Amino acid sequence: MIILAIALIVLGLFFFFGTSIGILRLPDFYSRAHAAGKADTLSTILIILGCALFHLHQAHYDLASFHVMAKLFVIIGFVFIGSPTATHAIMDAASAAGVEHWQKKKDKK
Amino acid sequence: MIFGLDALSLILILICAILALYIKDLMGSVIVFGAYSFLMCVVWTCNAAVDVAFTEAAVGAGVGTVFLVSTIYNTRRVDTYRKNRVLKQLFMFLVVCVVGSILLKTITDLPHWGDAQAPANTHVSAYFLENSIADTHVPNVVTSVLADYRGFDTMFETCVVFVAFIAIFALLRTRKIPAKDLTPPHTPVDSLIIKVASHLMIPFMQLFALYVVAHGHYSPGGGFQGGVILGASLILLAISYDFERALEYLNEKKIILFVALGVLIYAGIGVICFFLGGNFLDYSVLSKILPATDTIMARSHAMLGVEVGVALTVMVSMYGIYLCLSSNGRMDKGI
Repeated sequence: MIILAIALIVLGLFFFFGTSIGILRLPDFYSRAHAAGKADTLSTILIILGCALFHLHQAHYDLASFHVMAKLFVIIGFVFIGSPTATHAIMDAASAAGVEHWQKKKDKK
Repeated sequence: MIFGLDALSLILILICAILALYIKDLMGSVIVFGAYSFLMCVVWTCNAAVDVAFTEAAVGAGVGTVFLVSTIYNTRRVDTYRKNRVLKQLFMFLVVCVVGSILLKTITDLPHWGDAQAPANTHVSAYFLENSIADTHVPNVVTSVLADYRGFDTMFETCVVFVAFIAIFALLRTRKIPAKDLTPPHTPVDSLIIKVASHLMIPFMQLFALYVVAHGHYSPGGGFQGGVILGASLILLAISYDFERALEYLNEKKIILFVALGVLIYAGIGVICFFLGGNFLDYSVLSKILPATDTIMARSHAMLGVEVGVALTVMVSMYGIYLCLSSNGRMDKGI
């Protein structure tokens, strides 16, 4: 169980790393927000899941630790709804404000 | 307290504070300031002050950022203050250096972190910690100190929130539309995704806020935190739909009524104690009118009543301040 928890957390950190690279390296606002929205949500969920399993292992699977796990699952649910919606709202506002899409240079002319 | 985490967050706080002052785009400055508040929240949590961290997260990082953003929306986004004021800046730098060096000099006289012999820990706080359960039957000492031992403080804190709301309302609220509309063109949010998501979130937010208010005796939380979360849920409704939809639930008349009612509940409980023969806010005499309670449980129950009053005032004033700030006082449309 603890190996699974560590694997989940490390995978989450890997996706966080991808998010930060994406925010720094991608060419325009929309693709950066896309990197921030998608990978960030996934990595948060993975890390919280890993923490839940770790706590379960640490507390020797008693009833109270399942209670904590249920709370963490509720947090996962809110992150799953909230984070992509926030990204969508920012993208929507950007498109309403007229932020240009990025194009490859040869298509631009 | 984990030393590494503490040191890291304190360094990040310093960076955020300097960055927030340095950035010329005020919107970016506000976002950095939100990050600063969140890091403060981490520091409070590391120091086991969970109630304070809760308030910081709800007020500083949450609602405060919304207030600042809506103020910038109706004013100017770029800071033009710092042009051609070299002499003034030099003078301010000098003042900051002198005051800062005096403050740094006094650091050595401060007690160590968590020192049991420090003046703050040797007078009344030891009494509060030892006798909270025996006196009031409340395990969360923060709540019993806040709402019972130091009830006067909290009553006037609630009054400060009330006065802040009244001041903002009186200054900004206007019924006539100015001839030259300075606000940027308004584009209403018309996204099904945002509406459905906020529909899913708002009931849970409000339920959680009620839990925070009612369970403040036993776990971190209380009137201020729960009230801010309730206010945030109403602000989310006003943002994701429009003002009309939000005002359907809580219109202007009710806003003014409830904001006063919250303070009235708090002061009213104090006055009832007065009439029952105790001192102002001496809750133990309430056992005479509350059925099946002794003097100890009466204090616990009265604290709940007081927290409800605080939550009501804080909720409605957060909501009202947001409506006023973001619509430039016209209360028709905002961000």
